[in-house]
Amino acid sequence: MIPSDHFVRFYNEVFKFLDKKNGLEDYYLEISRHQEHHCLDLFSRKGIAGMKEYWGMIAKEENIIQNKKGFVSDTKMLSGSSICPSLTKNLDNDAGACEKYCCHCPGWVIPIFTKTGFYCVYDLINLLEPTCSMNVFAIREEAEEFKQQRIANGAKPELIYDNLDKTDEVEANKERLRPIRDAALGAGGADCKRLFADG
Amino acid sequence: MLRYQENNELHRDFHGTTNTTLDYIAENYGVDALKGILQDTGEKVYKSIHDKLAAGDASELLEHLNWFYFREGAKYQLSVNPDEIILEVFECPAIRHLKKMGLKISEYACLQTSEVNAGMCKNTQWESSVEVLEEGHCIQTFRRKGCGK
Repeated sequence: MIPSDHFVRFYNEVFKFLDKKNGLEDYYLEISRHQEHHCLDLFSRKGIAGMKEYWGMIAKEENIIQNKKGFVSDTKMLSGSSICPSLTKNLDNDAGACEKYCCHCPGWVIPIFTKTGFYCVYDLINLLEPTCSMNVFAIREEAEEFKQQRIANGAKPELIYDNLDKTDEVEANKERLRPIRDAALGAGGADCKRLFADG
Repeated sequence: MLRYQENNELHRDFHGTTNTTLDYIAENYGVDALKGILQDTGEKVYKSIHDKLAAGDASELLEHLNWFYFREGAKYQLSVNPDEIILEVFECPAIRHLKKMGLKISEYACLQTSEVNAGMCKNTQWESSVEVLEEGHCIQTFRRKGCGK
């Protein structure tokens, strides 16, 4: 058994192997399909409230240290500042970190946002530092404006991943899921409002 | 002393991602490629265990097995003598969690144990084997080369 604690160091060896085979992108999509098991229904039904629920669980189980809280409303979720436990472990790894280690996160998560009708602007910031910025939007214009603002403020465009080129798909999924989400949020509206209030 | 000793919360869903990865690599790149990655993990990630075994010292291996199977809530028994370490895992925590998640268990699931163990022992005085008795129940053996059986 590879202990859960050491999965990310195994993951890192997988990335090194796949990078040599030019096979990272396809693998990210496989991981994305696997992660649908955890996220697809939750994000489809609850939208951003579901994302907050999921990453709240991840923050606890993966021992994420948060330096600054993010911002959450019913139409967007902006990253705060936290220390990524996953890259941190690989910077403390006798096998050495894969230089593309961070790329797996946008690689798996953005396809799920597309499938659940959301835009994402994911800034990896610096591949050697365990801090990144994942930002999710229900409204395309807000995502576009956020991306441009970030670049204007000095972010490296080559480290920003987004699904702004998938507008048709995002909008179609948003419409498809609207009745399901309205019903779920209507039924659990109090919980969602409390989540947003908690930030 | 362990090189990596986590002692806070556990994210057991990583067993699911490992399971998916085992299938993905074996199906797309072959079982030998998968074994290579797992052996590299054993040899390079667990370099300190590997290097100690190469120097004849099994102390970190023992501590590693005991700590991480305990931490994952396994039912297991560890038997030790100077030339042999036997770990019998009665209920593998990874397989237990995969079942809880409702995932199909990879046919390569036990390679993660046998090949990582083999990587730890690579080019040392130790060799390893894994005998799977039934799903989730195995006996892992580390034996000093040339001793016994």
